[in-house]
Amino acid sequence: MLSEAAIKELNEIRQKYPDASAALLPALYIAQREFGYLGADAYEAVSNALGVPKAIARGVGTFYAMYKHKPMGRHVVQLCTNVSCMILGAEKLSDFLKNKYGLEPGGTTPDKRFSLVIMECIGACGTAPAMLLNDDFYENLTEKYIEEILEKYK
Amino acid sequence: MITITINNKEIKLEKPVTVLEAARSAGIKIPTLCWHEQLEKYGGCRLCLVEIAKVPRLQTACTLMAADGMVVRTETEQIANVRRGILEFLLINHPLDCPYCDKAGECELQDLVEKYGPAKGRYKEKKRKVPESLEDPVIVRNMGRCIMCTRCVRMCRGLQGAAAIDVISRGGHSHIEPFSGGKYDCEYCGNCISVCPVGATMSRLHRHGYRPWQMVNETETICPYCGVGCTLIVQVRDDMIKRVVPRIGSVVNNGLLCTRGRFGYEFVGSKERLTKPLIRIAPKLSADSYQLTANLFREATWEEAISLVAKKLSEIKEKYGNSAIAGIASPRCTNEDNYIFQKFMRVALGTNNIDSAARTGFAGAQNFIENIFGQGATANIIPGLSNSDLVFVAGGDPTTVNPILGLQIRACSRNGGNILTIGNFKGIEYCSPQKLAPVLYTEDVLLEGIVTALKNKKGLSGANPKLEAKIKDISTSIEDVKNICKIKEKDFNEFLNILSESTNPSIVIGKETTQSNGASYHLLLLSAINYLINGRIYLLSDRANEQGLLDMGCAPDILPGYRPVSYMEFRRRYESIWKSEIPEKQGLTIFEMIDTARNGSLKAMYVMGENPAYNLPDSKSAESVLKNIEFLVVQDIFLTETGRLADVVLPALSWAEKDGTFTNMERRIQRVRKAVNREGMEDWRIISEIAKNMGEKFNYSNVEDIFNEICKASPLHKNLTYEDIEKGEGIYPYKGEPLRDVMEEIRFQFPGSRSQGSDGKLYLRVERPLFHSGTLSRKSSALMKIYPHAVARINDKTANMLALQNGEMVRVSSKKGSMELPVIIDDMVDSSYVMLTNNFEGKGAFSLLAYQIDPVTKAPIIADMEVSIIKGRLKK
Ligand code: SF4
Ligand code: SF4
Ligand code: SF4
Ligand code: FES
Repeated sequence: MLSEAAIKELNEIRQKYPDASAALLPALYIAQREFGYLGADAYEAVSNALGVPKAIARGVGTFYAMYKHKPMGRHVVQLCTNVSCMILGAEKLSDFLKNKYGLEPGGTTPDKRFSLVIMECIGACGTAPAMLLNDDFYENLTEKYIEEILEKYK
Repeated sequence: MITITINNKEIKLEKPVTVLEAARSAGIKIPTLCWHEQLEKYGGCRLCLVEIAKVPRLQTACTLMAADGMVVRTETEQIANVRRGILEFLLINHPLDCPYCDKAGECELQDLVEKYGPAKGRYKEKKRKVPESLEDPVIVRNMGRCIMCTRCVRMCRGLQGAAAIDVISRGGHSHIEPFSGGKYDCEYCGNCISVCPVGATMSRLHRHGYRPWQMVNETETICPYCGVGCTLIVQVRDDMIKRVVPRIGSVVNNGLLCTRGRFGYEFVGSKERLTKPLIRIAPKLSADSYQLTANLFREATWEEAISLVAKKLSEIKEKYGNSAIAGIASPRCTNEDNYIFQKFMRVALGTNNIDSAARTGFAGAQNFIENIFGQGATANIIPGLSNSDLVFVAGGDPTTVNPILGLQIRACSRNGGNILTIGNFKGIEYCSPQKLAPVLYTEDVLLEGIVTALKNKKGLSGANPKLEAKIKDISTSIEDVKNICKIKEKDFNEFLNILSESTNPSIVIGKETTQSNGASYHLLLLSAINYLINGRIYLLSDRANEQGLLDMGCAPDILPGYRPVSYMEFRRRYESIWKSEIPEKQGLTIFEMIDTARNGSLKAMYVMGENPAYNLPDSKSAESVLKNIEFLVVQDIFLTETGRLADVVLPALSWAEKDGTFTNMERRIQRVRKAVNREGMEDWRIISEIAKNMGEKFNYSNVEDIFNEICKASPLHKNLTYEDIEKGEGIYPYKGEPLRDVMEEIRFQFPGSRSQGSDGKLYLRVERPLFHSGTLSRKSSALMKIYPHAVARINDKTANMLALQNGEMVRVSSKKGSMELPVIIDDMVDSSYVMLTNNFEGKGAFSLLAYQIDPVTKAPIIADMEVSIIKGRLKK
């Protein structure tokens, strides 16, 4: 079930689009926020709220890789391993996350604190390696710096 | 005018079309995979690439509009190379299991590969493997064969309007899936499988039992299930129906079918079909006593059975008089069967005691509406619904009662029309209807409110003074609507604005209305709305020939052509053709028959293709009456609940084994054609034999003889021939004379005292499921697999209150009886009722119903039936 606030937000968004299916993408983001990821419940909630058939909601949702399609930890680390970041050691950082926190690409720590998503370029090539943690941006990463950053997210 | 040259052929086009359509119109074939003539364009498969002069790259013919002066080539070396390349890609992941794929022989991919072929693939990696899915009862999926043309998705989302499946994921991972990821759990119309170009989705009914080229014959006929009258192509081998498919271009259903029409044919070949006449040897017990047939009856020859029936009926007529005998006709039988049936009753037995299950709603409602607007008022073209700018639905979910008509409502919505409903109907939910859902049993107040508001807004034109006189008496304020129906003023006003602004509206009326408390008043109110918005009415009809049977005169008060028995001039007319006197006295309705038999003055009944011991409300009491009647003849294809009570059972041929005509709810007469052979007699032939045995002249050699007599006798059908029907000219008002000027006063009855739905009690409501139809669908194993047993549907609030889980056994009881069955929690069910079906053996909702009769429509009122529900089974 979506919270009342979410439904209100959804209805407001709906007004900005010519028809309900056009509002699907932002609606799915809201559902993702509410449910943590896009699963059957989230799609059904969006379908009920917008009046778009649930199979279509799921069809649209699964097309996009940037939605979360499985349950995630409380905080999501999105680490770039594209060319610049890779050259400056992003893959090592990924190994570090694995060894230190048990955090594998696409995986979640057993305590559900972190999930790791390997990203394509986030436009920070000049200050690579870089990552997003939830909506916060971090650059010039080192192992030590990552450790410090992660400490801030409980 | 657009002129375009394709392969050196000059083609002139009246209106803008695609290059593909232009080519097809000139008989030039361009290969396609994703394009399908029924579906929206997609342009995904690239197989239709063609060369356009002066355009550097190949273009997809299915999406490119033909432009004046365009020069197109459809088969060049370059094109063949490209197509070969595309096919090679398509085959990368294809399992190449053609030898045991049921599609082989009509597979578009196989045919194309055969034409352009990659003789040898270059792909060395592993193929994707998708196991065969048998999760669904009627559809088998081998998605490894899927080429992602998305035809099925476009069919399901577009024409079917169910949107049960979609493309999931993207790129190389994309695949077709229902929401659940597993079972389709959809409307099972099968329209997706009929557009699949390959063997990815197919009917499970003929899995590995059928090769398209082994088909011995194909017969075009009409669906035996509902009043829509869809055209079916029945494909047969070894006198067994192997597959039923639609025909693109057929007038009513144009290439679409519903689940019953497509998958419901197995009853024809059922081993339980009656084969020999049966004569009773054991005393009558009850209809559902599970005694073996062999212990109840002995087999008899036709001669013996026919002369026994003739003798007994003559004796009873002699002893008790003509009115001691009654007959029940069948909305599943052809016009010819029904015409002969009523003629037999009137001529051989001298009685107007003829009626049918149409009396449970359709007959009276039609009569009522025609009396206001003239004969033919409900004979409206079904595809016309999609062109309406508004469809107003009351009294039933059209998508389950008349599914193909339901699709037209969905199409209306897709075309931008407004859908308004009184109540919740699951099948039209995704049309985002504007809904007003009044508290149970307060619908009349809401309708009064609508009539009042419309009248004030639009005024009266004076065109129909009789109706206007009634409309003037109607006055219900918005306050009453708010207080009694619990409807918000804002919703009411919005609804009313849409309704009053419509310019081309249609009104769809279902059985919930025709069987409601105050049915005739409800019909008056709906007629008033129809009049005020200048709409047209569609009366849902759940049997294939319900309209035809009435037009054939299978009613106590009308003669063929819908002529009233009470008019001497009409009686004289038929008497001169039938060379026999017709009784003046109106006969008994089906409910009066039961009552008269109960008090002992009705002694014999002849039941043709109907199951009153199950299909009439308060069926248990009908059953006990039929059990005690002196002589009961039941003519049917199965031994029904009623058949078990008969003195003589006569086996008839089924719809697939005979010729004739059906008249659908548009009053379109269509040809039913024999598709398979079977020993036995058609209903009309059996009755004619009995009539002859009684000394009557019933000499017909075939159905056309009968039809010609009908068209001689009935002014409505005057001069119509089978030839006209074949040409598609069997559409109302035919060539004859509709009845116009015998309109009576508008009479109606207000709802009697009634319960209020908000009183916290539970009431019984009849579910009319998509997957079943009367008791016939029980014998179609495919439909039984989809919806296998009776359930009680309740709302989640009710479930919570009673602490019930989905699937738990409950006992539903009314003052008439009780039954045990599992519950299903269904959010479309109102918290004030329990929904039960009337389709499954021993679990018929009608056995829990008491009824009263609406004095005007003569239909049963089955509202207001209080039920209780308790958890668990009865402890024995
Ligand atoms: S059977 Fe009908 S409802 Fe089900 S997926 Fe196919 S088209 Fe859709
Ligand atoms: S299942 Fe058939 S119709 Fe549907 S996308 Fe695959 S090949 Fe096309
Ligand atoms: S809509 Fe009615 S007539 Fe058409 S296929 Fe379905 S049951 Fe048969
Ligand atoms: S048929 Fe034209 S792209 Fe598929």
